[in-house]
Amino acid sequence: MNVRLRTSSREGMPFRARANTGLLGAAALIVAESMFFLGVLSAWYYLQVISLGNWPPAALRPRTFTLPLINTAIILVSTLALFWGERGIAAGNKRRLTIGVAVAAATGLLFMAMQTVEFSGLGFRATGSAYGSMFFALLVFHLLRVFVGVAWMAVVLIRSLMGQFDQKRRTVVQACAMYWYFITVIWLIVFAVLYLL
Amino acid sequence: MASIPVPVTRRGSALGGLIDILTTVDHKKIGLVYIVSSFIFFILSGLLALGIRTQLAVPNNTFLPPEAYNMVFTMHGTGMIFLFVIPILTGGFGNYLVPLQIGARDMAFPRMNAFSLWMFIFAAILIMTGVTLAVVGYTAQIPSLTQFSSSAAWTAYVPLSSKQFSPQIGMDLWVLGVIALGISSTLGAVNFLVTIYAMRAPGMTAWRMPMFTWSMTVTAAMILVATPVLTAAMIMLIADRQFGTQFFSTSNARLWQHMFWFYSHPAVYIMVVPAMGMLSEILPVFSRKPIFGPKVIILSTVAIGVLGFTTWAHHMFVSGISPEVERFFMFTTMVIAVPTGVKIFNWIATMWGGSLNFKTPLLMGFGFLSTFVVGGITGVVQGAIPLDAEVHNSYWVVAHFHYVLFGGSVFGIFGGLYYWMPKFTGKMLDEKLGKLHFWTMFVGFNLTFFPMHILGLMGMPRRIAVYPDGRGWEVSNLVATIGAFMIALSVLIFIINYLGLARRPKAPENPFEGNTLEWATDSPPAEYNFKKIPVVTSARPLWEARTGQKDIEH
Repeated sequence: MNVRLRTSSREGMPFRARANTGLLGAAALIVAESMFFLGVLSAWYYLQVISLGNWPPAALRPRTFTLPLINTAIILVSTLALFWGERGIAAGNKRRLTIGVAVAAATGLLFMAMQTVEFSGLGFRATGSAYGSMFFALLVFHLLRVFVGVAWMAVVLIRSLMGQFDQKRRTVVQACAMYWYFITVIWLIVFAVLYLL
Repeated sequence: MASIPVPVTRRGSALGGLIDILTTVDHKKIGLVYIVSSFIFFILSGLLALGIRTQLAVPNNTFLPPEAYNMVFTMHGTGMIFLFVIPILTGGFGNYLVPLQIGARDMAFPRMNAFSLWMFIFAAILIMTGVTLAVVGYTAQIPSLTQFSSSAAWTAYVPLSSKQFSPQIGMDLWVLGVIALGISSTLGAVNFLVTIYAMRAPGMTAWRMPMFTWSMTVTAAMILVATPVLTAAMIMLIADRQFGTQFFSTSNARLWQHMFWFYSHPAVYIMVVPAMGMLSEILPVFSRKPIFGPKVIILSTVAIGVLGFTTWAHHMFVSGISPEVERFFMFTTMVIAVPTGVKIFNWIATMWGGSLNFKTPLLMGFGFLSTFVVGGITGVVQGAIPLDAEVHNSYWVVAHFHYVLFGGSVFGIFGGLYYWMPKFTGKMLDEKLGKLHFWTMFVGFNLTFFPMHILGLMGMPRRIAVYPDGRGWEVSNLVATIGAFMIALSVLIFIINYLGLARRPKAPENPFEGNTLEWATDSPPAEYNFKKIPVVTSARPLWEARTGQKDIEH
């Protein structure tokens, strides 16, 4: 130190952050992801407005929403399982975390499998029209998010099995759970926009 | 609850140094790699600008064929914006200075920081290799090489950037490069926001944060919100090109403009707000006064950050959007001039009555202020819908945004380089060469870009490769070309100055009497930045330490 300043730490002490940087970082990434989603969603509505009532084009309307409805149930089960597991480790219960994450990751995988079935059953493709492109964009971008979420949960599951988390060390679990809740909310919006509205 | 590991250095051999640079997670080394690499891209993009000006020096010139000209101006814009101004300000100065200014040991996520850096280098290689190959292709008459570069302008409007009109692989490389840059800068923004929120030294409240750190906060927030939309648009564009989707089919072409400008208008502020922050550091130090109205400066920066998201469609007044929408965007465009104007008055009031220390950083600050005011005013003027219809796509617009981007950001960047060079290297740049650099650049800049206002009003469109004789455009174009070479000369003077750095004596600890924490440690700082974490009791901790008096709290 070249000038005389008041200091707080002893020499060589590590720096203590003011807040949980891992959680803040995950929250910031979720903001970025939301903007990505809002960008694509705005494109959907923009094209809907300029299509002057021809949206969806008559031939292209998805026939049913049974499968996506089942998928909605699946992802909600997944989120509940992860919430249960995350609350478990917050109370120090390592076994609850392992079971919760395992169930959440498995149902997440099931969701992905069901989505690919949904893609082939839609009866239209991404290439024929702007509507088809936007429809698939909203689904595929969401599927990619689910893939990231499932991969993240797999990491949490392995680390949980290795006993790396406890009441104090669970930032990664919290961040992963935050991201998965976010994905669930996005799915509810995507489902409503594509199939219900 | 991060405790930050202190990075280990390998010293000694050149190989060790290289490995150190390739593997470092230290924010200062990462910042310097950003500064040096983006400065190289500045030189490359500047050479492309000389190509443009050489071609336009005289009417009916044949120096560059039209296809080559399109490639050259496309890559000049892309390089200057994406590979120079944004990375040097955020990745370079931001990375180096923010942790020092807030009294931290490093960024919150040092490894993610290194990832951002190498993602940027990867993207730059994607984009710049294409340009280099294309330049070789055009010079050596090898047509197969010319396809490696994009020539759809930095805005990449569809349908020009579609497979039909830009079939070359260079367009795909460009899109992929911009996607990679988007990922790099989004992660960088996450890093800055978390760092500034969580890593401040004890006592550093929001109002005590240095102006540059504040400007980086706002910039990072803007990047975080704006960039993902551009990334989405780029992914949709490449899907259109490669997989045959119809996002931006000709009837939807305006969708691209909306998504592109939703990022690229805030990007204008992303490019200038950090430079404004640097000016707000330089002016009080070289006026030997506290900054005038720090809270107002901070709040106006935040206002610019928010309002910056409401003005994007003023780029689209002639694209055929409805008059109601146009009026809204005209109004917001006028409104955003207010916080910017407030800043200008703050800066003038900071210097007013100060004991001015006429060193190069202050001169660069004058360069910033005087030219940025001109660019700001022309911006408000062309924000008026009828006038915009008149000057749109003319050289007036080129003049306007160079007065803002070169006059604002580039003068700011050079001011920052002169001001913080003793911190970066422990050596001071030469003052005489610095003043020569400033005056050559200032005169060259105005010679280049002022005549473009007149050219635009005389009806010369931008992005044309040749123009006919007898329109009265000859003199202005020739003057602009002479000015461009003067700018090149001034950059050469800077490089000579920089290369002479090794022979110069060690700089004093705080050569300009800076008041922020980066001057409270060694130059260049050790990897851990501060031996002990300082406790901050005011906005000017070093002024307090120097004078032994209590600073005013605003």
